[in-house]
Amino acid sequence: MADNDRHDHHDEATGPDDTRVEPDGGTVTGAAQSHRETDYLDREVNLLKPSTPFMRDHLRVVWTGFAIWAVVVFGPVTATALAPDVMTQTIPGIGFPLHYFLVSIGAPGGALALSFWYARRRDKLDEKYGVEHGSVTPDADEGTPAADGGVEE
Amino acid sequence: MTALPLQLLPEGLEVSFKLLPAILVSAMLLLFLVIGYLFKVADAEGMWVAGRSIGNVENGMAIGANWMSAASYLGMAGIMVLSGFYGLAFIVGWSTGYFILLIFMAAQMRRFGKYTAPDFVGDRFNSDGARAIGAVTTFLIGFVYAIGQARGMGLVGLYIFGDIGLPGLSGYQSMVVFMMAITVGYLTLSGMLGATKNMAVQYVILIVAFLAGLYAVGLSQGYSTVLPQIEYGALFSQLSSEFSDPFTNESYYLWIATAFSLVVGTCGLPHVLVRFYTVESERTARWSTVWGLFFICLLYLSAPAFAAFGVDLYGGVGMGPAEADTIVVLAAQLAQLPTWFVGFVAAGGIAAAIATTAGLFIAGSSAISHDIYANIINEDATQRQQVFVGRAAIVALGVITTLAALDPAAPIAALVSYAFSLAGAVLFPMFFLGLWWENTNRQGALAGMTTGLVIWTVPMINEVLPTYVGSIDGTISPTLAQWVPAIGSALIAVPVVFAVTIAVSMATEEPPEDIKRLVRQCHSPEPMQQMDSAEDIVEGDAPADD
Repeated sequence: MADNDRHDHHDEATGPDDTRVEPDGGTVTGAAQSHRETDYLDREVNLLKPSTPFMRDHLRVVWTGFAIWAVVVFGPVTATALAPDVMTQTIPGIGFPLHYFLVSIGAPGGALALSFWYARRRDKLDEKYGVEHGSVTPDADEGTPAADGGVEE
Repeated sequence: MTALPLQLLPEGLEVSFKLLPAILVSAMLLLFLVIGYLFKVADAEGMWVAGRSIGNVENGMAIGANWMSAASYLGMAGIMVLSGFYGLAFIVGWSTGYFILLIFMAAQMRRFGKYTAPDFVGDRFNSDGARAIGAVTTFLIGFVYAIGQARGMGLVGLYIFGDIGLPGLSGYQSMVVFMMAITVGYLTLSGMLGATKNMAVQYVILIVAFLAGLYAVGLSQGYSTVLPQIEYGALFSQLSSEFSDPFTNESYYLWIATAFSLVVGTCGLPHVLVRFYTVESERTARWSTVWGLFFICLLYLSAPAFAAFGVDLYGGVGMGPAEADTIVVLAAQLAQLPTWFVGFVAAGGIAAAIATTAGLFIAGSSAISHDIYANIINEDATQRQQVFVGRAAIVALGVITTLAALDPAAPIAALVSYAFSLAGAVLFPMFFLGLWWENTNRQGALAGMTTGLVIWTVPMINEVLPTYVGSIDGTISPTLAQWVPAIGSALIAVPVVFAVTIAVSMATEEPPEDIKRLVRQCHSPEPMQQMDSAEDIVEGDAPADD
């Protein structure tokens, strides 16, 4: 009994990265386990109150990206309005005034880099929760899907 | 109408009929039709299956082509020539908005599975009223957006085809009528044909023409070698300070308002959201957004370089709006490049304008025929009736766009940004709240959309209408124009619409459980079958059609 108690205790204390052995011999992470046990159609969707572990992890990535994005996009312009002398100095070598460079190249380039970062992080989340994309095939019993589908265009 | 303001005739632009460029433009349009036709044949087996198998890179190119219109190709360099640092707000708004679209909406939209904006608001809020407002907004966006395209086509067409001299109209006006007639005719031929394959081709033509023009100008004038996007920095010491000094032309507030409106507008534009419906999975929806932004950045990082080269070649400031809006073509001409090559650069601009106008008109006409006519006015409408209404809507859009473009109120980029403010004020909050807060309900959506429409309309009447009405001189209320500018009205509209929608949703009943489950399905990480929409999953079955 004592062993069992300690085992239970151990279970509760483990984080989502704990791995356990599946009956079929494969291993699955705690995150994937909780993913399987979640019925997403019963969990509230609220941007400010994530209701599932997956959404909590996802929103952490989303908000981090959003915060960096806001700084990259509106930061240089605001800094230029606040400290015009500092921001309009010429960058040696390439000749740009600093504010012009940060806005015309830094902001679009930053958004592109952030997009890449987000898509990578989101893929990692899928991995962590054991979600697989791309291998889905149309149902065999679905027949000819929406033969009239083109009309709405 | 005959006395057109002189500044609308591009000075320094050689206006005459040019055979080779004319052949280039015609060949290009023919190519689009042929590709559309071939794709249609391959597509007959299963439109949806083919439609949802588009991959990352191809869909990214389609996003790019769909996105880049005359406003990107011509107007962006133009607004930087006219407004200097303020012009960068357009580059920032039109590119960085894709990140917001990516993190908050792309995959969820794909999972929702409905692809027209009116369909989304109609189904999500379970309301024909919301559907109707969505449809009217889509139609308005198509109209306002297309005015800028028509202006671009008119100016560049003038360079290629010369003054065709329709009676009673100036050269520019004749060309607007001529090019819009071609566009509407082209649409009736191509409207039913597959779009995505074409868009990838259009993107390639567009970007090759633009970059070839930039590199040729840079090399021939000794401005740049391998990376003009960075090398133009060396020109800043030569250019007048108006080109780079911050906030000399426009205030900091207007800069932020404009960039913000363009960001939220990006996330609310119906013809952008369509692109997420065509991909195989939500993962592809995400990655194709990244690719799309990459392809867009190729042009957007190059446009300021083109503007700088153009300004330097033109010999200082003092350009009118028409010179600015054709600066891409003008720069190539001033660099003494061969006529056929300048024509090629111009042809890219026409390709961009026609492709985007086609997409806008189709979205606008389907809003009228599908969402308003077939869903609300006549629920038993036959296919024939729907097609007829759709065609009539395209012609109507063509006519009113042409009329408005004969004497446009603003440069291309500004005209287009009115449409972005509208999309940002009315549709973006509905998409965002509709996807991220399941308790958003019908009453909230109706109240929010109406508020958004009003906040968009007031500054339009205040600032833009007077330019069309002779008896009113200038802006009606300069104070209103300062704080709620037509070009950036979404900065005020979006927070207000959010507040109204949330407050009304909280004060009224929660939406029904099946609607909530629909929203939850949009956020579930569980993969969906390629053919499913969120609705099918929630109902526990995947019916072929509703």
